Amino acid sequence: MTRGYLKSSPYFFRIIKIAWVVSTICLLVSAALLPAPLQEPADLARVPNPVKSAWFLLWIQELVSHSKYLIYAVLVLAVGMVLLPWLPGQKKSDQATWLGKGHLGIAAAAMATFAAVLLLTVVARYFRGENWAFVLPF
Amino acid sequence: MLNDFLSHLFPRVVLRRNLAFSYTFCLGGLAFGAFLLLLLSGMLLLFYYQAAPDKAYASILFLESSVWGGGYLRSLHRLCSHTLLVLLMLHTLRVVLTGAYQKPRHLNWVIGCLLMLLCVFEAYTGYLLPMDQLALWATQTGMELLAIFPCGPLLRGILVPDGIGQSMSLLRFYALHIMLVPLSVMGLSFLHFYRIRKNKGVLPYL
Repeated sequence: MTRGYLKSSPYFFRIIKIAWVVSTICLLVSAALLPAPLQEPADLARVPNPVKSAWFLLWIQELVSHSKYLIYAVLVLAVGMVLLPWLPGQKKSDQATWLGKGHLGIAAAAMATFAAVLLLTVVARYFRGENWAFVLPF
Repeated sequence: MLNDFLSHLFPRVVLRRNLAFSYTFCLGGLAFGAFLLLLLSGMLLLFYYQAAPDKAYASILFLESSVWGGGYLRSLHRLCSHTLLVLLMLHTLRVVLTGAYQKPRHLNWVIGCLLMLLCVFEAYTGYLLPMDQLALWATQTGMELLAIFPCGPLLRGILVPDGIGQSMSLLRFYALHIMLVPLSVMGLSFLHFYRIRKNKGVLPYL
């Protein structure tokens, strides 16, 4: 074996298998502790207040509750995300490294976007009451 | 079997110093693991679920009350779905923060974006299926959001030809949820894995 190198099997694969087993056990146990909710049968005549979307879309709902034109911000974000490798202002590095100098600006923008999405989701999930008014959850 | 799969996915040898768990945190692999568990639990749920507006809710009630482990199976399916989305978001963030989206991996980045979009859509189509109040109104709100997008009303018309929770829309959501979207996710996942291997394996580039 060349100096500094190890066979992927078993050294590398062992890490992957352990991660898989641990995560699977976590999911199997958590499912027993967190039962899936089931409300009353669907009825179009009974409209809940507030009406909330699925948790992974709540940030968009919160955003468009301020102005429907903010949907274009979501579109710009989506297009920008797909075109990320072609955006200007980055230097290509030979090796992928955490917070490398060549893509520090992109990394900062990504962190800010991620934090904003998280914040909007939390606000929509816990701080919105009747008629989408801001309420304190406690 | 897992060894064979992994040996095709990764190089035969790795640098000892590259075996750090913190390079990737295995987020992509764990997301795929959650997806497999999601497929398995979903396949078992198929034995009881009935995709008709007047039968869907009753079939979930029957599953919860009369099938041994039925409630647990549904909870597992829901939890795996949530976990998959969270892991995908974290995986995407990791890829950006490490700059792994850059060339030569730019095509795989696009495939990954498509995969994330499909997984969100998969979760959304599954939301309606229990046909309870939560399902109906969350789906209704999602459709209203879609309608704001350019071409949104057209897409809405295709997905919901007869109103949320009516027979045609429930059937379309069901077909998308159990067949078309999972198959697309599976196919794109393998393409994603193939591109990783083609682009010289895991981080940092070996």
